[in-house]
Amino acid sequence: MTAILEARDVTMRFGGLVANERVSLSVRPGEIFAVIGPNGAGKTTLFNAITGIYEPTEGEVLFEGRPIRREWGMSDRVKGLAVGLVSAAVAVLALNASALWQGAIVDRYVYGEAFPWGEALDSVPRTLRESGFWLTWFAAAVGFAVARLGFGAIWKAQRRTPDLVARAGVARTFQNIRLFGEMNLVENVLVGMDQHFRSGYWSCLLRPPGFWRERERMRRRAFDLLKFVDLADNAADAARSLPYGHQRRLEIARALATRPRLILLDEPAAGMNPAESADLMKLIRRIRESGVTVVLIEHDMKVVMGISDRIAVLQYGRKIAEGTPDEIRNDPVCIAAYLGTEDLG
Amino acid sequence: MSAAAPRRIRLTPWAGLAALAAVPFIDALLPGGLRLEDPMSEVFIYAILALGLNVLTGFTGLLNLGVAAFAAIGAYAFAIATCEIYPFQLGFWPALGVTVAAGAIAGFALGAPTLRVRGDYLAIVTLGFGEIVKDVLVNLDTITKGTQGINPLPPPSFLGTPLEARGQYWLLLAFVTVTFVGVRALERSRVGRAWISIREDELASRAMGIRPDHAKMLAFATCAALAALAGALMVSRLSSSGEPGNYDFQVSILALCIIIVGGIGSVRGTLVGAIVMVGMNSIVLVKLSELVGSPDAPGAALDEAQGLAKVGVFLRTWAQNVLVNPTNWKFLLFGLALVLMMVFRPQGILPPRPLHEAPPEGGEEGA
Repeated sequence: MTAILEARDVTMRFGGLVANERVSLSVRPGEIFAVIGPNGAGKTTLFNAITGIYEPTEGEVLFEGRPIRREWGMSDRVKGLAVGLVSAAVAVLALNASALWQGAIVDRYVYGEAFPWGEALDSVPRTLRESGFWLTWFAAAVGFAVARLGFGAIWKAQRRTPDLVARAGVARTFQNIRLFGEMNLVENVLVGMDQHFRSGYWSCLLRPPGFWRERERMRRRAFDLLKFVDLADNAADAARSLPYGHQRRLEIARALATRPRLILLDEPAAGMNPAESADLMKLIRRIRESGVTVVLIEHDMKVVMGISDRIAVLQYGRKIAEGTPDEIRNDPVCIAAYLGTEDLG
Repeated sequence: MSAAAPRRIRLTPWAGLAALAAVPFIDALLPGGLRLEDPMSEVFIYAILALGLNVLTGFTGLLNLGVAAFAAIGAYAFAIATCEIYPFQLGFWPALGVTVAAGAIAGFALGAPTLRVRGDYLAIVTLGFGEIVKDVLVNLDTITKGTQGINPLPPPSFLGTPLEARGQYWLLLAFVTVTFVGVRALERSRVGRAWISIREDELASRAMGIRPDHAKMLAFATCAALAALAGALMVSRLSSSGEPGNYDFQVSILALCIIIVGGIGSVRGTLVGAIVMVGMNSIVLVKLSELVGSPDAPGAALDEAQGLAKVGVFLRTWAQNVLVNPTNWKFLLFGLALVLMMVFRPQGILPPRPLHEAPPEGGEEGA
């Protein structure tokens, strides 16, 4: 079976700091995979590299066997050309605005008489010819080149963005909870569902019947997701008014709303009491049962050992071990990483 | 759990609308009359401008200090499209269509290159944009007639009939109402949620699959189209595009003050802000200075009693024209209003309500 998520020799360097060094992971579909390690081991950096917040310095991330990345397709080629041509036209018009206006409108328009539109249009090429090479062809070339290069540069910087990764089917939560605090719970989940809406700008503005049907359907689905994470009673509260543990569950609901096939949970049990983390474990199992593969970073060993199928251990940016919970529990390297060796003591 | 009636009809906005629509009648009943139609029309135009700015700055969190430039583009697009010195000579309504389209294009043109510019830097870019547009309008005098402005322009009309002050009042009220309903509809849909999520946390909204570039471009275009509409309505009312200097930083700042005082990100608040800020400026202060300027004002009486030495005359004129005349206190009062606002109610008069989407009815029992 092919891996749903594969990191191949991912290296993340920030100047001189190496946050991840040749980390390779392979997560199978349907499993619960945990990434553990001491603080600063590079776990969150790895998540950020997977979800497109960072671009790996070296190595690559494959989702369902393919890198999540925009390909330079036909539509990009057309868009680039259009952006260039429009800019060229704007450049020429801007430089010759006065002359064109003078030649086409002012010289021809007599108050009270019919305006010769044909003649006015004919005057445009003549005026441009009189403007000479620099103000026309050269300006158009510069306008085209600048816009086309800018388009290319932006496209290149945007090949693998978090929104693209999310739309491809990888959702995540954040270690430092990043909810939309002013919105209520339903709205937070609805933001996650945004890509599945069909109504566009005009439909949202003019609100035809289809808009209302979709709105009702989506709200119901959002509410169902809140029920799934056991937050339905608070549906109308503002997200920032929720207690910490609830906020973590809301983040999970919001991530599930994107309908992912893989969900990355960054320390979902942080700040939870034992009862809450027991509930969380049940929730994570239910997520897996619904067909979503789970990768989590966690410090709470009870949670990690209780639900993970496999565990990878990071230390100083390197993967030092990988295996089932039993293997990890008995691995001397991992014990040393967590408890420290004598030279640290 | 309270059984919420499905789709409650709120009375406040309808009552407010009815009250505003009745203003000309009430005004006519008063002895002397306050002649509120003209200043209130100005309030409405600023309300449209501020509603547009609220989309970009209030919802999406992109600080725009050059919204006057969009108004200027709309004003000049309208002027060129309608004025009889040019051959286009469109009517009022088709010209408004052209104006809104021109504004939206200008919004795209400013939005596209600035998508990656954030916060303070975006504020500087938009500030620069405002100044550049103003200078271009001055210098491109073949087309814009420079500081003369383009005139005459057709007044607002309805079904082919040019409107007088009272008709303009109602037409502008209708424009504000439609804009209000439209902006509110956008706010309470996926488009508005995307905007607000970007304001709250751009990275998180990206990670949820929102495309910020897309959403920001829509916000820029909406803001610019509404600002352009406001500009066109303004010049149509004045029958002249005025000089480019009219669309300067002060206008942008006034629009910003309106949304801050009203409650940034709040659609209702923006309307209240427009009434408070522009109303103070063009109704309260103007009426006050009319009072002061009238011969039986207390200042004049005091002066008579103390004799008419030359110094006294000078002082009296100075006091009456500069000190006592309330319109000269405009900016002091603006500043004071902002300071008081920031100290006592930083969220604005009517801050946005956090709860927009109620859970679906019956969902609770379905558990």
